[in-house]
Amino acid sequence: MKKYIIIGASAAGLACAEQIRKEDKNCSITVLTREAYLPYSRPSISYYLKGAVKENDMYLRSPNYYIEKGIDIVTSAPVRSIDKKNKTVKAGRKAYSYDKLCICTGSKPFVPPIKNINGKVNAYTFLDLASTKAVKAKANGNTKAVVIGAGLIGMKAAEGLSKICKSVDVVELSPRILPSILDEKSARSVKKYIEENGHIVFHLGDTVTEAKSNANRITSVVLKSGKELECDMLILAVGVRPETELAEKAGIKVERGIVTNPETMQTSDKSIYAAGDCTVSVDMLDGSKRVIALYPNAVYQGTAAGSQMAGGDIKLDGAYSVNAIDFYGLRICTCGLINAVGEQYSDRTVRSGDKYKRLIFENNRLVGFVLINASENAGIYTSLIENKTDLSEIKTDIFDTPSLFMFDKAEREKRLKGEIA
Amino acid sequence: MKKVYAKEELCLNCRLCEVYCKTAHSKTKDVLKANKYENPTPVSRITVYGDKMLSAAVNCRHCDNPKCVQACITGAMTKDEKTGIVSVNEKKCIGCMTCLSVCPFGCIKTGKFAVKCDLCQDEDEPACVKNCPNHALVYIDLGGAK
Amino acid sequence: MAVNYIPRRFTVIRDKNLCIDCGCCVRQCSNECHFFDGDGKTVVSDSENCVACHRCVDLCPTRALRIEKYVCDYRENANWTPQYQQEICRQAETGGVLLSGMGTPKPYPIYWDKILLNASQVTNPSIDPLREPMEIRTILGRKPEKITVEKKGKSTVEMPPQVIIETPIMFSAMSFGSISLNAQKSLAMAAKNLGTLFNTGEGGLHPDLKEYTDCAIVQVASGRFGVHKEYLNNSRFVEIKIGQGAKPGIGGHLPGEKVNVEVSNARMIPEGSDAISPAPHHDIYSIEDLRQLIWSIKQATDNKKPVSVKIAAVHNVAAIASGCVRAGADIVVIDGFRGGTGAAPTRIRDNVGIPIELALAAADQRLRDEGIRSRISLVAAGSFRCSADIVKAIALGADACYCASAPLIAMGCHMCQTCNTGKCNWGIATQRPELTKRLNPEIMHLRVENLINAWNHEIKEIMGGMGINSVDSLRGNRLMLRGIGLSEKELEILGIMHAGE
Repeated sequence: MKKYIIIGASAAGLACAEQIRKEDKNCSITVLTREAYLPYSRPSISYYLKGAVKENDMYLRSPNYYIEKGIDIVTSAPVRSIDKKNKTVKAGRKAYSYDKLCICTGSKPFVPPIKNINGKVNAYTFLDLASTKAVKAKANGNTKAVVIGAGLIGMKAAEGLSKICKSVDVVELSPRILPSILDEKSARSVKKYIEENGHIVFHLGDTVTEAKSNANRITSVVLKSGKELECDMLILAVGVRPETELAEKAGIKVERGIVTNPETMQTSDKSIYAAGDCTVSVDMLDGSKRVIALYPNAVYQGTAAGSQMAGGDIKLDGAYSVNAIDFYGLRICTCGLINAVGEQYSDRTVRSGDKYKRLIFENNRLVGFVLINASENAGIYTSLIENKTDLSEIKTDIFDTPSLFMFDKAEREKRLKGEIA
Repeated sequence: MKKVYAKEELCLNCRLCEVYCKTAHSKTKDVLKANKYENPTPVSRITVYGDKMLSAAVNCRHCDNPKCVQACITGAMTKDEKTGIVSVNEKKCIGCMTCLSVCPFGCIKTGKFAVKCDLCQDEDEPACVKNCPNHALVYIDLGGAK
Repeated sequence: MAVNYIPRRFTVIRDKNLCIDCGCCVRQCSNECHFFDGDGKTVVSDSENCVACHRCVDLCPTRALRIEKYVCDYRENANWTPQYQQEICRQAETGGVLLSGMGTPKPYPIYWDKILLNASQVTNPSIDPLREPMEIRTILGRKPEKITVEKKGKSTVEMPPQVIIETPIMFSAMSFGSISLNAQKSLAMAAKNLGTLFNTGEGGLHPDLKEYTDCAIVQVASGRFGVHKEYLNNSRFVEIKIGQGAKPGIGGHLPGEKVNVEVSNARMIPEGSDAISPAPHHDIYSIEDLRQLIWSIKQATDNKKPVSVKIAAVHNVAAIASGCVRAGADIVVIDGFRGGTGAAPTRIRDNVGIPIELALAAADQRLRDEGIRSRISLVAAGSFRCSADIVKAIALGADACYCASAPLIAMGCHMCQTCNTGKCNWGIATQRPELTKRLNPEIMHLRVENLINAWNHEIKEIMGGMGINSVDSLRGNRLMLRGIGLSEKELEILGIMHAGE
């Protein structure tokens, strides 16, 4: 009986474990997680914070599921080291041996250099359920919260907090919000919408340089511009970095993230695979190497890794970013190369009312989109991007609501039969 | 598994499938109340695309390897191993629409949560198929894995 | 100009309490009577072009629609009725011949409704068709004049080709062009399953109907569209169309816009060209000429197919029928003036010809008197509305009946009588692809089959009541008929007694 060990129990880790079980009915699968919880939805934490989902509903699978599937989830088991040679990992006091190992350690928050924040009890990160519970326990109607970072995590934290707290200030170094998913124009209108619908105050192009404290509690923060914001809860959401420490120590090749074969997810060690936010991906759209820290990508990678580990034939088709998020009911869907720079790229934007649709093209192909309140059938755009469809084959105006009638009869029939993905 | 298939050469573009889908997924189950008075208005899980010359109704394909399930960030979207039906758990869904962003068929609709075809599990035949006046929708098993 | 305004005929009544603005009616009406109002959401109606086809009414999911007769009164005048006035206005505007579809709506006497059927009591027991065999199988074709047998008793007669149908009901000629391929295909499928025949009309045989050649009657009409050797042989029998009940003495005209690729291929004429069937066959100016055409067709089909001749019921129909028999026709079809049409000049449709009841009785009697009735089969056509009409026709002398309007109604026709516009909302009398797809042969053939099966049951029931167990015993059995409220002359022509006699 083969032994599989997976480090990390979030999107990639769970997908990997499930895929192994699909391919190999008789093997032992052990998932080691440093967290105290069974696999839960990390993106749900901001919804948990604002009370939109209950803790019970955050769990990705029911506890029975793991028993049925024979997937052993070991919680509160931070892995200390990987021994490549003897094929063992050490977690807590126990050592686990493996035939195949998958590293799905995800990312860690990046803590910016700010004076006087170390050891302060009211400075929080916002990345996992434990930190969210801590925030939720302290936030109340009198809280004045300051969020550093207006990326996906920072903005979701701010949205969640705005439903609870007295005031929420967001400080962002970049001149616009959500720089990873929005272009300048759309970022402006989204910012306006958020300001109108949630009481969030933005401080863009600015950063926190120093925290002022009373004993071990932060009382206010000082911005580079000189402004001083009252603060009794500081959320550090500047960004994340791949969690690669374990892999590095074990002597696995690491660049910005763990380096893997882009199809099989195998690392520099034959028996060790890696998937999810801890890896560096090759973007299939422009060939660039970067960390695509997004949920669907983690699942796709985890599935491919699991299949390859168990001798299956699923490979990663290619990584690209796809993200959907909402703020106060405003739905934003983005995919592909949002901020592509280069002569080969062109883009066009169509606005009507509160709908915003920006498509990015490379020659005759779609390589990215930003849809705000215009997400209808966005997946068809995604499939155009993924399949690198030649747009001259498209029958209708690409800016119309995408539908199967974009395609010729043969392609349409295939899709109606569900034969193509 | 049995799925709903559209025959575009027979589709009338009448969109009664949408009307009856809304009805089947309403509180009152009454075609008039569901489509006129209920608030919130039920969302149709099936949509007719095209024009009078050529149209077809599209609803969930209940794929073998559903992208929506893979991409779901909360575990709300699942594929039932026995029936093969892909469905949304509304308690878990946060309405982020990642599923919609990856569905290559355009089958997921936006409500408060993700809304999609459940093949009218409690009935013998989905409402859209039952009420299609020209049998342009059929509910059959074309084989393939669940 | 105001003088050209003709009041509309119908009003669409939309119950706003029931309308859910789903727009189904908007997308279904080819006359564009329904549309979304300026807000793009609210559905409203404009009744001006409504023909009362009921497509919207039938498909409305909440039954919010109703069609009402629109009454705009004129000063009462039994002579100058509003209709005549309106028709005059229309002609004053266009200078053209008025056109209509389907059969005449004028209140001419319908003799079926003045003929009553007999039933057995005491002396001649009636038969329960559910318990005892009841034969409605019908055999069409020329019968030998006399039978000769060899010594052992075996027949030495060479039997001319016969056509066996499982019911005395066949589908009359409706060409591909006048009706959609889907409609024709539905009839063909129904004919195949029912064991009866459909008729291609003069539009040729579409390749999609190849598998139904065993139940096809192929027509040779004055335009000779689509006629070639293979066409003639791809049939159960060949029909020479001399005339049509709805428009005796008139040819046909399929406008070029209906001649799409498919129609042009089936008819063997250029796409977009008008398909004009001349009023006469230009090679038939006498019974002898007809004989020649019959002979040619028999040559082309190796004497394997019976040949029928279809004539319209006109004044001297009996003599013409006799001529047809003598010209070699195996089957004579008489089409009464209430028969339907895809398009006919209104004046012709409403004024030319005679009712099928009288024509059939007269022809049958004439052929009997001449001693040639038994040689051929006689088929009646021209508006059979129910099984009782069929039974009465057979008792008057028909071997079988042609039905067209009834199966069309089964397929959705609501007798709006605007076939000639080509905008049939039910996908029957149209070639527009967005309309023809509305008729799904998989559904409609079953409905047509149900209808004919129902009629078959009723025919058996009526026959059983008469104590007759075979349609052969009913044929020409005029003792089973009694007239009611008919004059002596009418009774004489029909060859029946008055009720009570």
